[in-house]
Amino acid sequence: MATRTKPTRGQQLQEAINYPLDWVEERSGLVGGIKYFLFRKVPGDVNWFQTLGSATFTAFLVQALTGVILAMYYKPDPKDAYSSIQHITNDIFAGWLVRGMHRWGASVFIILMFMHMGRVFLFGAYKFPRELNWIIGVLLLAMGLGEGFTGYLLPWDQTSYWATVVGININGTAPFLGPFLAQFLQGGTYINADTLSRFYAIHMLMIPGAIAALIGLHMYLVIRLGVTSPPWSKEAAGTGPLEQPSQNGTARSGLTRPGTRKDGR
Amino acid sequence: MQPTHNDEHPHVPGPSIWPAGFAVGVVVLLVGLIVSWYVVGLGALIALAFGFLWVRDLTTGSSLTEAPAVAPEGGRSESATGAAIPADRGEAAAVPGDRYPRSKFLELSTLGLGGVIGGLVSAPAIGFMVAPAFLKQGVKDHDIGPITDYPEGKFVVATYMSDANQGEVSRRTAFVRNNGQLNGQPSFTIISNHCAHLGCPVQPNGPLDTPNGKQYHDVSLIPTISIAGFGCPCHGGQYDTEGNRTSGPPVRALDRYSFSIRNGNLFVGKPYSVSHVDGAGSGAKIHKWTLAFPGEHVNGIESWLYPIQPPH
Amino acid sequence: MASERLTERRRVYQQYKADVKERGKPFFPYAMWHDTIMSLVVVVVIIGLAVVWKYTTPGNHHTTDPGWLGKLYDNPADPGTINFVPRPDWYYYFLFYLLRIFKWPESVLLGTIGIPTIALLLLIALPFIDLRSERRISRRPVAIIAGILVVISMGVLTFKGATAKEALGSELLGHVSAWAKKEGYTGNQAAVKGAKLFAVSGCLNCHVYNGDGGQNLGAPELTAEGAKNKGIAFQIAHLKCPSCKNPGSPMPSFAGLGDDRLKLLATFLESSKGSK
Repeated sequence: MATRTKPTRGQQLQEAINYPLDWVEERSGLVGGIKYFLFRKVPGDVNWFQTLGSATFTAFLVQALTGVILAMYYKPDPKDAYSSIQHITNDIFAGWLVRGMHRWGASVFIILMFMHMGRVFLFGAYKFPRELNWIIGVLLLAMGLGEGFTGYLLPWDQTSYWATVVGININGTAPFLGPFLAQFLQGGTYINADTLSRFYAIHMLMIPGAIAALIGLHMYLVIRLGVTSPPWSKEAAGTGPLEQPSQNGTARSGLTRPGTRKDGR
Repeated sequence: MQPTHNDEHPHVPGPSIWPAGFAVGVVVLLVGLIVSWYVVGLGALIALAFGFLWVRDLTTGSSLTEAPAVAPEGGRSESATGAAIPADRGEAAAVPGDRYPRSKFLELSTLGLGGVIGGLVSAPAIGFMVAPAFLKQGVKDHDIGPITDYPEGKFVVATYMSDANQGEVSRRTAFVRNNGQLNGQPSFTIISNHCAHLGCPVQPNGPLDTPNGKQYHDVSLIPTISIAGFGCPCHGGQYDTEGNRTSGPPVRALDRYSFSIRNGNLFVGKPYSVSHVDGAGSGAKIHKWTLAFPGEHVNGIESWLYPIQPPH
Repeated sequence: MASERLTERRRVYQQYKADVKERGKPFFPYAMWHDTIMSLVVVVVIIGLAVVWKYTTPGNHHTTDPGWLGKLYDNPADPGTINFVPRPDWYYYFLFYLLRIFKWPESVLLGTIGIPTIALLLLIALPFIDLRSERRISRRPVAIIAGILVVISMGVLTFKGATAKEALGSELLGHVSAWAKKEGYTGNQAAVKGAKLFAVSGCLNCHVYNGDGGQNLGAPELTAEGAKNKGIAFQIAHLKCPSCKNPGSPMPSFAGLGDDRLKLLATFLESSKGSK
């Protein structure tokens, strides 16, 4: 080493990149973790349907980001809420865009959750050992719908007010606990001055926190348990003892030509 | 439970039932916040009593296990039986060569103290979140104008701000009908506009006399010309002029408000639920119930699903 | 028995892990490339929806008129209103329509809590109901048929919810002259008066007339009611006591409006020969 000539520019660059990475890795092991996440093997035949999960995650990130920005201008008080929505929509630079992205991102998020769930159902990917991840997914769906319910009130216009009245009363019809649930949601016998800020806190702190935690768990389980092959795939991983005659021939196909799979249309 | 082979035990309290009693006390206390202060006191007493017993248990050793008070010497490994962690209740494993054998005392007290911290932080926070929704809402009587503004036998749509501090959000609408005199006293029918199905705004089935509307402070009064009943646009619930359900999904009649008359003015009082009304006008027999949420049966078999109403 | 099945499932999973190890591809970049493209599409769609929402709204400022994707915002909340029909966001339309289906007091609980709760519990229980490790679609007929039925019923309920009409009393009065023109009774003063009465008496909470009104309790459309030529006397009698003339009708009596107004309503109904 010591006798070598001066490193080339490329080597220097490499060194400059590696040094901070090594520094972090030695002190945290994070780089190794990310490398494991990125370079872990997935079945060679995964296809476009299996991008719905990450797409849902992207939609959630859009919601989180736009929601935080909206919170800078929105005023969760019955006296100001409606005018702050008007202000965001009409006056603030790109306010309409951020609000529109949040408004429609919610729809996209929910559509994607349903589609992702449909994909998992179709692929039978909820089966052993992925049962727990399915349950977490169902909880995430319920929480996503809860976000839709609590967020709908925030513009404080006629539609949102009365839809929330009906929504709360639907909860109120639950046997035994319903009246208590409804009164808890409203913070009183009727929708009152505190109800809006209550919904706001639930919408932007409680449920999103829970969703973020569950998404973390969901992804941890995906990485730990792996992604399923499409059930119709000829070389689906785990279809049985290696009985396919072509097994030797395709042994490394996943690594040699992974991008050109017929399922990758 | 035989302390035969574990001579080198630390001070070991066994598992105790006191924490369970403590938890029950906390639960009773929280329920009390909703129900009554007596129950709070009872819960506090239970929690204190069991908490004391628990702490005493932890500090003086278990009442369930006879833990020999022999302090372990680091690194001692005479006992060869400690290869596996014994499943015995309250026994700590003494793995040979283990400098720090399991200490039930430290384990339990760590968990217990953690629980105490969690309770101290979350009990008031959760109480703050939950309790105000259930404490007495304090409905104040609201002045909706001189009774002469209410022509006899006609419904008037009265919209008023029930709580000036809260502002627009407390706006309510009631259908008020002057029933004339009953036993020398003025009689009124005051019907809420919240549908007994799911709380949508109910409309009068008939034309309003908007040009003759009146304003009295925050109250706006619009007389009806003649109405055949009330209808809900959301899911089609229909009511007659007494608020009885005639068709559609509503589970009971429209809610009503009590009223009082002071200095010739009509005051709207507390709302209450109504299963049905026999008769009409001032002589009607109203089957009253405590206020229930829309969609909840107040009588019949389905009312068993809603045995307790939160305090309103 | 059960343990046999468990052993089999474990074996399949071990097989899966071995297969992935042997012939899988690295997540990055092969699978992640697809993910990234899809996420890009998602973000573009979201921004696109926001842009369409804003720029199809007529008039750029302070408007509650709907664009292609609906209003930017509605009128401010009025807890004291007596003419408003709420509507949830589209993903609750299935529930919104379920509530219209369960139109009897005894069944309210089914529509509000019963069916949604059962659906949620079934969803959570799915992996414990379907215990076989078989994943091929052709070998899972029950699961696939059940899935298709769920998708179809949710789709139908959402569609019905989205297309369900509703009445707004305050707007309807303004439609009367348009109705009269379409139906050709502009010259008939009594019919026009009847139409105004019709618009404000809650009739459109259930009936549909020339594209206005809600569809509740199975009420018939009245656009061409006059074409049936039932006669004014019948119409008055029916308005006074619908279930006398039409047993089982859930329509309430409108006798409280008084004979003069019932005659106007009847004239209006008989003049409604259908939209021209």
